[in-house]
Amino acid sequence: MTINRISDVEFGEELPVFTPDTSLDNVRRFATAAGWAGPRFTDHEAARAEGLPGALVPGIMSQGFLAAMIHRWAPEAQIKNVDTVFRAPVIVDQPYTISGVVTDIDEEAGNVEIDLTVNNEAGETRVFGTATVRISNPSS
Amino acid sequence: MILDLHTHSIKSDDGRAKVQNYCQWIRAREIPIDGFVLTEHRQYDATSDYSSLASEFGLCILKGSEVETEYGHVLVFGVTDALLATFDFSDIRLPLQRVVEACAAHGAIPVPCHPGRKRVGMQAHVGEFGVPEGVRIVEIYNGGSRAREDEIAQTMADDLGYLGIGGSDAHIVSHIGRCATRFPATISNTPELVEALRAEDFEALTFKT
Repeated sequence: MTINRISDVEFGEELPVFTPDTSLDNVRRFATAAGWAGPRFTDHEAARAEGLPGALVPGIMSQGFLAAMIHRWAPEAQIKNVDTVFRAPVIVDQPYTISGVVTDIDEEAGNVEIDLTVNNEAGETRVFGTATVRISNPSS
Repeated sequence: MILDLHTHSIKSDDGRAKVQNYCQWIRAREIPIDGFVLTEHRQYDATSDYSSLASEFGLCILKGSEVETEYGHVLVFGVTDALLATFDFSDIRLPLQRVVEACAAHGAIPVPCHPGRKRVGMQAHVGEFGVPEGVRIVEIYNGGSRAREDEIAQTMADDLGYLGIGGSDAHIVSHIGRCATRFPATISNTPELVEALRAEDFEALTFKT
């Protein structure tokens, strides 16, 4: 179910879980398109040579995944900000799930706050944050 | 009574949760805690008054602090004006011994938190600095722990004879209550919390799935 008006949003509502494509091919395409295709993002061996556990999913790509998840839930939402705290690296070719849940609704202003969490297969939080999105009612 | 002893609000630099939303979340999701302690990073929030929220939601909302030492991060319960005057809470290189001694002198309780974590946890520094004196309690369940961090904390607590508490270390609303601490008595203010910790009769809980 997608959300088109703020009056349909409920406190505690969970956004559909999103499974991002963190494959090396996809990350390479993103990093190249973003002009940020350093070896730590595009080559596992090169990343390990830098002391990293593997190639990294760029932070801006993780933020893009978060925005994509929000728009799958509320296609017309205006994302005012996505505020992330990176607790641990998101590694290429590893499975992650992105969760979101509504934690504040200001119907008058049309704003909804969403908690965002990127977890790995072990359930560890790698990235968390919040987003503020504007969802108007059609008449407003 | 169950309290989440380790939470952060927007008063912390990396906190993203408003206290009101914590309260709403606890009630809406029926999180099995009776309250929480706000332990803001490197400060004590003396000005915020959450008594009306506490009353509205029927929750116990207390305040402590999370300071930074050479042994990693340390929760402090029972912060007073006198304690605040003894060291700079914003200093990121506080000597743990100074924090422990100041707490002892002013009736507060220091609790190294997420001790199994690299860099900011106590276990990572015991080898270099030795076992600190005056620590009685450590956090053995932390809602933000990764990999074996809680296990390392529990092993360290067992080996050194420490008691353990639990706290979510929540920085966003939906993470509150993932870990907590159960006390046999009702706690309604900070002196009662300090007394309950000093009585050494509590149990760390985890609700992580």
